[in-house]
Amino acid sequence: MLHMERISLLWCFGQAAFLLASCFSDMDGGPGAAAAPQAAGGGDRFKIEGRAVVPGVKTQDWVSTARVLVEGEEYVGFVRTDGTFAVNDVPPGSYVVEVVAPTFRFEPVRVDITSKGKMRARLVNHIKTSEVIRQAYPLQIRSSGPNTYFMKRETWGWTDFLMNPMVMMMVLPLLIIVLLPKVVNTNDPEMRKEMEQSMNMLNPNPELPDVSELMTKLFSGSKGSSKAGSSSKGTRPAAKRR
Amino acid sequence: MAKLILPFLKLIILWSTVEAVFEDQVGKFDWRQQYVGKVRFSHFDTQMQSSKKVLVATESNVFAALNTRTGELFWRHVDKTGPEGNIDALLQHGQDAVLVVGNGRLLRSWEINIGGLNWEIVLDSGSFQSACLVGQQGTVKNVAVLKKTAISLHYLSHGHQKWIENLPDSETVDYQSVYSGGDGQVYALGVVPHSHIGVVVYSVEDGEIIKQISVEAPWLSNIPASCAVVGQDMLTCVDSTTMSLYMLDLNLQPQMTQIPLQSLAVEVESGFQPSLVSHQPNAALRPLSEFFLQVGPDQYLLLQLNDGQIVTLRDFKPAPLVSFATTGEKTVAAVMSPKNQTASTINLFSAETGRRLLDTSLIFNMDPNGGKPEKLYVQAFLKKDDSVGYRVMVQTEDHTLTFIQQPGRVMWTREEALSDVVTMEMVDLPLTGTQAELEGEFGKKADGLMSMVLKRLSSQLILLQAWIGHLWKLFYDARKPRSQVKNEITIENLSRDEFNLQKMMVMVTASGKLFGIDSKTGGILWKHYLENIPSNAAFNLMVQRTTAHFPHPPQCTLLIKDKDTGLATLHVFNPIFGKRSYVTPPALPQPILQSLLLPLMDQDYSKVLLLIDDQNKVSAFPSTKNVLQQLQETASSIFFYLIDSNQGRLSGYRLKTDLSTEQIWEVILPTEIQKIVSVKGKRLNEHVHSQGRVMGDRSVLYKYLNPNLLAVVTESTDTHQERSFIVILLIDGVTGRIIHEAVQRKAKGPVHVVHSENWVVYEYWSTKSRRNEFSVIELYEGMELYNSTVFSSLDRPLVPQVLQQSYIFPSSISAMEATLTEKGITSRHLLIGLPSGGILSLPKMFLDPRRPEMASEQSREENLIPYAPELIIRTEWFINYNQTVSRVRGIYTSPSGLESTCLVVAFGLDIYQTRVYPSKQFDVLKDDYDYMLISSVLLALFFATMISKRLAEVKLLNRAWR
Repeated sequence: MLHMERISLLWCFGQAAFLLASCFSDMDGGPGAAAAPQAAGGGDRFKIEGRAVVPGVKTQDWVSTARVLVEGEEYVGFVRTDGTFAVNDVPPGSYVVEVVAPTFRFEPVRVDITSKGKMRARLVNHIKTSEVIRQAYPLQIRSSGPNTYFMKRETWGWTDFLMNPMVMMMVLPLLIIVLLPKVVNTNDPEMRKEMEQSMNMLNPNPELPDVSELMTKLFSGSKGSSKAGSSSKGTRPAAKRR
Repeated sequence: MAKLILPFLKLIILWSTVEAVFEDQVGKFDWRQQYVGKVRFSHFDTQMQSSKKVLVATESNVFAALNTRTGELFWRHVDKTGPEGNIDALLQHGQDAVLVVGNGRLLRSWEINIGGLNWEIVLDSGSFQSACLVGQQGTVKNVAVLKKTAISLHYLSHGHQKWIENLPDSETVDYQSVYSGGDGQVYALGVVPHSHIGVVVYSVEDGEIIKQISVEAPWLSNIPASCAVVGQDMLTCVDSTTMSLYMLDLNLQPQMTQIPLQSLAVEVESGFQPSLVSHQPNAALRPLSEFFLQVGPDQYLLLQLNDGQIVTLRDFKPAPLVSFATTGEKTVAAVMSPKNQTASTINLFSAETGRRLLDTSLIFNMDPNGGKPEKLYVQAFLKKDDSVGYRVMVQTEDHTLTFIQQPGRVMWTREEALSDVVTMEMVDLPLTGTQAELEGEFGKKADGLMSMVLKRLSSQLILLQAWIGHLWKLFYDARKPRSQVKNEITIENLSRDEFNLQKMMVMVTASGKLFGIDSKTGGILWKHYLENIPSNAAFNLMVQRTTAHFPHPPQCTLLIKDKDTGLATLHVFNPIFGKRSYVTPPALPQPILQSLLLPLMDQDYSKVLLLIDDQNKVSAFPSTKNVLQQLQETASSIFFYLIDSNQGRLSGYRLKTDLSTEQIWEVILPTEIQKIVSVKGKRLNEHVHSQGRVMGDRSVLYKYLNPNLLAVVTESTDTHQERSFIVILLIDGVTGRIIHEAVQRKAKGPVHVVHSENWVVYEYWSTKSRRNEFSVIELYEGMELYNSTVFSSLDRPLVPQVLQQSYIFPSSISAMEATLTEKGITSRHLLIGLPSGGILSLPKMFLDPRRPEMASEQSREENLIPYAPELIIRTEWFINYNQTVSRVRGIYTSPSGLESTCLVVAFGLDIYQTRVYPSKQFDVLKDDYDYMLISSVLLALFFATMISKRLAEVKLLNRAWR
């Protein structure tokens, strides 16, 4: 999971760098849409409009539970029966607009409103906040599917059991311990030296007892004994470790 | 090899700490209750006879449809809090409900069947006065909105404005009400206080002024309070000073006719402002000519206007509540009259004649622990024999809605007070009688061998009896179909379960109603309405005695403080039964500044509560001799602090032996620059299991565990986005020493803080990057402990090491709390309430200032996740899956008897209770434990040994023969 996160982050950065170059020209054109101001108590207020779509689901099945949140709960809008929405009375600024429904997932969008009422929508990027990747305005928010809230129960099966990393970790060394002495002639002193060296390189922390250390110990211990003896000796400590 | 294995291991560890709900666990230990708040407007859906909807618009800015059969929600729409989401008016026509929101800023129309929005339009600014539906030729097509200076007409179908007109002389005339009788005219009714009435009549078609009337009325100041339009456009007003009814025909003469109330043979109670209740069943038709005149708090007159003459149809006394209802062509009046102390009867009367309808009485039993009835909503319907039947929804002072059917069957009640929970505690349930009996055996002094044996035998007998009873119940229940088995929990059979997972939730609501809720089922076991609670009261709930001290009853104390005056009262009660305790709390004549619950106990095992008043005098409760003596002995080690956020002062005091106080430190934060927003100490019942953290090189980094540490949050008074900042001060509450100060520039609140163990996590809004950020501060003593046995604030010369790290959080948050377990062994999670309604369980592991930028061997050894700037919200981490909780105001965590399990209650508009397992359930078998697998493996092994034994024997035999 950790790796996946890191990879996605890297990917994000890569994408950001790529798109940053392409959006400079876009900046000059300025935001496309403009809205008529709604006069209110201090300064002009504007309207954020858009449409939310859940593919394959009738709007009436989800609109009653949906809300449009602008910057948390600072401004709240509701979804009309046809899926369109409008959030009224929003002063100029930059806001994250989110459609929230318990069953469906919608991606948030950042909407910038200038003091003259020009609007533009762009991807939300919390890390590079000034980056502009334009989105359609009025907003078109498509649900990317139902929210996944639940984990799958682990069901027991032979393949699951065997592919379990813990089992793999126990079985693989066992195989190595049993098979390796048969393949490699451990009585050859040159070979053994080489092996020890590689093992030392792999194990930088000498205080840590780990599998590799155990293996070197095993190999050195099996010096004088026969092949059958070494294998039987090898299995015993491994079994203990279990 | 090791390199290969370590990431593998990490993966496993990470996965195992990430908890999520399994689909089959839905509803097993969790429940949610949804509320709407105190009802302001309510309409029954009358378009169909079979309709089951009642629409409610509430003071919590919620608009919802309730099922009249069950009381559950069909749908609910939660608007912004505060005045901008305030619902000013609710009008209903057919399938559409029109709401005026935010002091006339927005006009919304809802489709009531599916709960979707039809349209929403923005109205011109101006303070809202009144709104009504406008009908023409029998159909309702428009809605009129009256504001201070303008009147506008909108189409019901799409909300567009038909016309808007400025009101004439709006500087002098105060237009307060709008009315339409369905004849193509809209009347704006205004008043110049104590001078005259001004009426402007507009044409529905184009907004042209048809007529303007000005009539002398020196006695009138408020039209909605004392006037109503009755019958054929007859504006009727009542005045208490002249004791008269005034009538004005809006279409005819510009003159009012005065009818003295004496001619109707009634008298208005002195000091009572009489009022009128009229009824307009259909906006396209004129109102009824019958109306109610209220002449006293519990006296109503049903009057009829007949050719300019007023006839008294009936006098109702005592009748605290009346209401009109219409079904089909018939209109009835429902009148509630008290029957005795605890019950009221409601009867129906024909509106035209005032005659009582037969078989229509309904009994409403008032809850002795509730409030008085406040409003009456009547749903009338035609029965098969064309007579009128009805159901009523009664709203009481404690915000409860009760829906009653004839002859008095309560179909459902909704405790809407629970939509505004202020504070809560979870109290362990008591042992059952038998358990207590057994406990008692060990508690008492030994009195002879024989009696001890007898006692033992008798208690064993009791156990046997209970066991047989249990078996019998099992057997009995097994024979019944499953649906009939009822395991209803009442106060009588409440008892602690094996792992102490079921507790009593004591909830205090802003309305002053207290609730005792069973945490397992969510059932309300007791309720108690405290009357005369000031509207701005602050509550502080303390558990003085737990259930552990049988036979002493558990005891909770609620400190109710008026925020303006500072005057406080104490309510002492038993948290299990909700009854007021026999202990009389002391009277508190002085404003209370601070209260603290000491770990000291009196001889009855109740903890001592100290109250400090504005003279810095300390009073103790209970204040027995024993307590005072203990206080004197320990006074030198009792310190407390006071916060004065108005003056920006934090001060620390010490208790002296004569129960006076002495100031020992003071910190002044200049109020011109910053204001104190919150002060957070540590939870009293928090346990920390490990004193330090084992590092990658096997050394130990010791935590700085100061129980007296306070986290003080201040915000800058300058709110400009370039100059605003927030400050976190870590102050030792005993010595006043500032341990650490963290300034976050270009940041503003609201700041949410969690302070626990040796860390403080806070969340703020970064104005520079326009995003929410989390920051974590951890305090460490270093590689050595100064004094490993006792912590004393007075003897800690070394300044702790401070580590801090910040993260981006992709959502704003509404509440935050940390999980809490019995012994503190389980890893911690942060529970974060999001505006979307989810409650995110974020492992504290992600908020660790020791997360390295580059993963090294040692950091991997410690299981530190490499630093990533953004924290990710995964929906799998939502502990409440799709059971969203609206407007989470607080999250309460409580340890259970199991170390792995923490009980969580999130409260806001809704209440959600569940259990979380931050490190999974390591101390009990999981509910998906595979009994089949383990038993089959055991059996297989057993047979394998049998067979191999047999084989070995054969082999031995063979060898012996050889």
